[in-house]
Amino acid sequence: MGNKIGVFICHCGINIASLVDVKALTDYAKTLDDVVASKDYKYMCSDVGANLIKDSIKKHKLDSVVVACCSPRMHEHTFRGVVEAGGVNGFNLEIANIREQCSWAHEDRVRATEKAEALVRGAVAKARLLEPLKPSKIDVTPMALVVGGGIAGIQTSLDLADEGFRVYLVEKTPSIGGRMAQLDKTFPTLDCSSCILTPKMMEVANHPNIELHTYSEVVGVEGSIGNYKVRIRKKPRFVDMEKCTGCGDCVEACRLKDRISSEFDMGMGKRSAIYMPFPQAIPLKCTIDPDHCLMLTRGKCGTSPLCVEACEADAIDFKQKEEEVEVDVGAIVVATGYDLMDPSSLYEYGYARSDNVITTLELERLISSSGPTGGEILRPSNGEKPGSITYVLCVGSRDETECSWCCRIGCMSALKQVYLLKEKLGDDVEINICYTDIRSFGKGYEEFYRNIRGFKTNFFRGRPSEVRDMGDYLSIDIFDTTTNKLFEIRTDLVVLVPALVPRADADDFARVLRISQSGDGFFLEAHPKLRPMDTFTGGIFIAGCCQGPKDIQDTVSMASGAAARAANILSKEELEAEPQVACVDEDACSGCSVCISVCAYNAIELVKEDDGKSHAKVNEALCMGCGACVGACPSGAMQQYGFKDKQILPMVEETV
Amino acid sequence: MKKYALYPGCVMPTEQYAYEQSIREVLPFLDIELVDIKGFSCCGEPMKSVNQLMTLYLSARNLAIAEKQGLDLFVPCPICHLSLSECQRVMDNNVEMRDRVNGMLVTEGLKYEGTIGMFHTVDLLHDVIGVEEIKKHVKKPLDGLKVATHYGCHLIRPSEIGRPVDSENPQKMETVLKALGAEPLDYPEKLDCCGAMLSANLPESALTKTGQKLQKVQEHGFDVFVDVCPWCHRMFDSRQVKAGETVAAKLEVPVVYLTQLLGLTFGVDREKLGLNLNLSPVDKINLGGK
Repeated sequence: MGNKIGVFICHCGINIASLVDVKALTDYAKTLDDVVASKDYKYMCSDVGANLIKDSIKKHKLDSVVVACCSPRMHEHTFRGVVEAGGVNGFNLEIANIREQCSWAHEDRVRATEKAEALVRGAVAKARLLEPLKPSKIDVTPMALVVGGGIAGIQTSLDLADEGFRVYLVEKTPSIGGRMAQLDKTFPTLDCSSCILTPKMMEVANHPNIELHTYSEVVGVEGSIGNYKVRIRKKPRFVDMEKCTGCGDCVEACRLKDRISSEFDMGMGKRSAIYMPFPQAIPLKCTIDPDHCLMLTRGKCGTSPLCVEACEADAIDFKQKEEEVEVDVGAIVVATGYDLMDPSSLYEYGYARSDNVITTLELERLISSSGPTGGEILRPSNGEKPGSITYVLCVGSRDETECSWCCRIGCMSALKQVYLLKEKLGDDVEINICYTDIRSFGKGYEEFYRNIRGFKTNFFRGRPSEVRDMGDYLSIDIFDTTTNKLFEIRTDLVVLVPALVPRADADDFARVLRISQSGDGFFLEAHPKLRPMDTFTGGIFIAGCCQGPKDIQDTVSMASGAAARAANILSKEELEAEPQVACVDEDACSGCSVCISVCAYNAIELVKEDDGKSHAKVNEALCMGCGACVGACPSGAMQQYGFKDKQILPMVEETV
Repeated sequence: MKKYALYPGCVMPTEQYAYEQSIREVLPFLDIELVDIKGFSCCGEPMKSVNQLMTLYLSARNLAIAEKQGLDLFVPCPICHLSLSECQRVMDNNVEMRDRVNGMLVTEGLKYEGTIGMFHTVDLLHDVIGVEEIKKHVKKPLDGLKVATHYGCHLIRPSEIGRPVDSENPQKMETVLKALGAEPLDYPEKLDCCGAMLSANLPESALTKTGQKLQKVQEHGFDVFVDVCPWCHRMFDSRQVKAGETVAAKLEVPVVYLTQLLGLTFGVDREKLGLNLNLSPVDKINLGGK
């Protein structure tokens, strides 16, 4: 036995000390073999505690350190730094978790102390056998990939580009801008959405450090933190980006002009088969819709395609093919946004039955002066101005049968629209709001809400049981829970505020990136409070609504945060790789390849030996130290540094 | 020929004979044999607000009787159907309650094991028999007849118990009616209550509900109103004139059971289908090129 061990026991204020007899535990630790020092302190993670450890290392010439304290998730990193500073390798540290796994979990002081003793005894057993580990170095590619060109992706890209990193911004649709570009005004300040967004979009287009890939999708991600290889599939626009001037002559000429439902206008307006989603699109280039264009679907468009005739720049090219490019990046920020739930699934709200039942985003397009009606609010059924408009909040949100979560923007977006509707239609327009709770939680939101309550607006607390299309008008049955009365509302237009849901392809994309999702399907952050932008995969960060519903303010904050987190990696020339990776005892390995089949990171390969046999080999840069291969190995040849069988088995034996 | 034990309930054999008559006329066409079993009692639903255990016991008893014969149940009354469905749910999910109820059944030599299925008129026609089979027997199609359907609340809710049709957008009757050549149309009041459940303590309000719904149906210009529940039918058909008084309207809406309409298209005599027992103006229904 070699290692001389010091044991340091933390009271954690009273968190540990109230249920574990720390003095007795300290005395007990002294009796264990190879323990040459045993000390306790009120807060071991404090400066004083750290100095206590450092001084003891010098005084007793310690080789290994055991700290009995909170979970290693909390402070292993801290104490690793402390022992390094004291002159001992950071991996010659073992944490005995006597808080989460002992004092917090039990009620009996005597038995909790006994359990703490067992945990310390086990940790000491492992500490005897710990070996110093040296992290390997990884070079970092100082470039970033940002997926999604909405406000989150735009903000992240600009922040990273301004810091001097090269950014590849990939956007699925023909233009960047995302949901925010569809909005007329933003709450609570009523800023014009495009007026504040367009300058940022221009900046992205003109930034020397940003390479924009619109109408493109990320289809493959390989590698690990610092060095990712990303495959980007560029869909054919059938328009030469170099030649197209964005004049729009082709759009006017198209045979299918005003015949195809516009995605940007949420189906409230029509577009041509060759189109620009909106006037401020970036890049300002046309795209041909392959699902509708007559040339692309039938191979012929009249005698000749009208767009080709109209295009003076000769930019239209029906022969364009899909392309794939590969880029190297050091970090990835995912900002893929959200979808709106299709309210058709809630049949009782009438979205599937009546033209006059629309969603907030559809109404937003009607309100927008660049929208299909030029900013006029008209009933879809007959094109007349509505005299009464009724909002139904929480459609699918906070509903156990659909989405259990709050959409966080529904209340405020509806209140904002009430303001705009009163502005456009006059104070006489009757507005009813059926709400569950008004959640006006942000800065300035409550004030905005109070302002709206002062308008002539009827608030009903409850969820309508049914929206009926009576032909000339809509009828809503609602039980108002503040007055305990059943109301029947007659109205001209019903606006549903649907739940925010993960993108339809979120599951597939999570698999491409190898990142986790929470139960609701949104991408999962590494820690809800302390690592909200990180994922469990090193070097991949999330921003905006792909992590969960949020408003523009929170999205932009998160986007800047994610950029800073990514820059943290990109600014380093090299990274230290976690040394607790898998390793192979080549003599014991039979080359059965079971480990390869369980490895989720493609970190193991089979190597042929001279004598024709083969064995597994671990690529330490790719290995994430998950331990799956160690458990799967039938011969025990696969081991993990810091968790070898010979270290863990004595620990188990001593603890039990 | 598939056999089912017919569970008649209380309203059908004591008052709404037409429903039973039309069922017994129509189902043999569709290769269904109904078996009458001795010993059935009340489904238990009327006791529910005063003695839930009694309700559960009575429902379980009826299920156990059918189970003893090894026959799936055919329950044309949606209220009985709901009561028996709720019982199945409790017995299948709550072992303690199941043991307790089975302990009570043992004196009659009965035991609930949960081995049989249960069907209402709508899912028997739509899910088991299927519209293709029904189409084969149509002799006089209901060409273009504008039909308003009424499912009744017990057939559609509560959805978590498992009901024969969707709670918000039931369509099975419509599918069957289309197969008969009729034109079932959606109308805003389709899911509105018949009022029957208010009859005991608020009789005026009950009739008002009935009247309001029928008035709308009449205004929409429907040719016929179709239901599948003896309680609803009692309100819409038997009490139509009184219901009209509550909304100051002269109501003349022909109200029939789905099985009666089915029988008409199959060419069965009106009398055999019990149409002479309907109090609403069913003579207005014209078949085949109206």
